[in-house]
Amino acid sequence: MPKQATPAVVWVHGDSLSPTNPALLANPGAPAVWVWDEELLAQWQISRKRIVFIYECLLELPVAIRRGKVVPEIRQFMQEHAAQTIVTTASPSPRFRAICQELSGSFTLEILPMPALIPPQKHLDLRRFSRYWKVAEKVIYPR
Amino acid sequence: MRREFASRADLIAYVTQVFPGATGAVSETVGGRTVALEKLAALQPDRYGHSRNELEGAVTRLSPYIRHGVLTLAEVRDHLQAQGYAWAVVEPLLRQLAWRDYWQQLYEQWGDGIWDDREPYKTGFTAADYADELPQDIINGTTSLDCMDHFSRELQTTGYLHNHARLWLAAYIIHWRRVKWQAGARWFLSHLLDGDPASNQLSWQWVASTFSVKPYYFNQENLARFSRRKWCATCPHAAQTCPFRGSYEQLHKQLFPHAEASHSSRRLGTRR
Ligand SMILES: Cc1cc2nc3c(=O)[nH]c(=O)nc-3n(C[C@H](O)[C@H](O)[C@H](O)COP(=O)(O)OP(=O)(O)OC[C@H]3O[C@@H](n4cnc5c(N)ncnc54)[C@H](O)[C@@H]3O)c2cc1C
Repeated sequence: MPKQATPAVVWVHGDSLSPTNPALLANPGAPAVWVWDEELLAQWQISRKRIVFIYECLLELPVAIRRGKVVPEIRQFMQEHAAQTIVTTASPSPRFRAICQELSGSFTLEILPMPALIPPQKHLDLRRFSRYWKVAEKVIYPR
Repeated sequence: MRREFASRADLIAYVTQVFPGATGAVSETVGGRTVALEKLAALQPDRYGHSRNELEGAVTRLSPYIRHGVLTLAEVRDHLQAQGYAWAVVEPLLRQLAWRDYWQQLYEQWGDGIWDDREPYKTGFTAADYADELPQDIINGTTSLDCMDHFSRELQTTGYLHNHARLWLAAYIIHWRRVKWQAGARWFLSHLLDGDPASNQLSWQWVASTFSVKPYYFNQENLARFSRRKWCATCPHAAQTCPFRGSYEQLHKQLFPHAEASHSSRRLGTRR
């Protein structure tokens, strides 16, 4: 028997502001949310032009726009939609990781990978770009 | 928060009201997938390779869109492939896209450690020799060096600088003014529409030499050439008092008097 699907919510963050991001694509019509992370805006002293640029990106996405502390805002959005599952896209940011850690305590969290520029490699030497490029140039443009 | 706006001016007024802490100019660069796809369609990869180091060269200006995932690196590559470009044509552009992927992969490993010096400076100085704060005349655009003052204003009004201008301004801040790269990186991050922790902090480290084998620096001839003398032609400092005048060897001695003399210290912007 198929598992009873709990309604999913898509969390969109600043590394995947495309209407075709994997989380939005996989969940058409699902409620989606963006949260302006006020702590981060203050910490990085994000200027007005950056906020306007990001806002314009958001206006082309099917998301509710919130502001404040990220985890409590998402929690509340989940309650409003009686949802248990959060779907989002991967990011290397340590702040993203910390938020995911917190959310996964109370919800089912699915983190979808972003399309990669080069396929995952067994041995990728990152000590200098030249070493990385030696490997990358062979696989970056399949001919 | 609101999603309906009568105009861009309406959006800007709203942002100004709800984010009072966020100050300064608004860029003419418009966000969103629609504009990003227009820019993608207008790429000129055949002109990119030989002109990308020139301020007026055929660079893509895709960075703010890529930074925020409005476009992915893979999409840009796939677009080039769909157009049928040969490897030799697209190799220079792919290499630059790969720089971003490379920085992102390091960010994945290092996390907030990208704010720490990854290696010692190779300038003959230690981190303690560099100032913690950015000098006010750089922020205000009042150094009296026409090129640097222009870059400062451009950064703060448009949120974009050409890669070469970023290299020159960063090198000026770190090596001529002897300021910690972190101070410059924080300033860039606040203003660049493409401001990205990995690409930004690690590029600053690359210029500083805390993540490369030697410091990046330049001379007047290099700046004049790739800017087509845009500032040097009228700058009162150009003939005599420009701090960038001289050969790479001379500048190396002046800037890094305690560093080992390096015969291969000549660094051209074309390196990356
Ligand atoms: C001090 C300093 C700070 C920088 N800070 C940032 C930053 O915060 N965000 C950022 O995206 N880039 C940064 N860069 C890299 C580079 O300057 C910009 O990506 C580039 O100038 C953006 O313009 P473009 O889109 O026209 O680039 P193009 O030359 O058209 O390149 C195409 C794309 O490749 C990527 N790319 C190109 N060069 C680099 C590079 N050296 N490193 C990483 N990615 C690259 C960008 O995504 C860019 O959009 C920095 C460079 C320096 C020297």
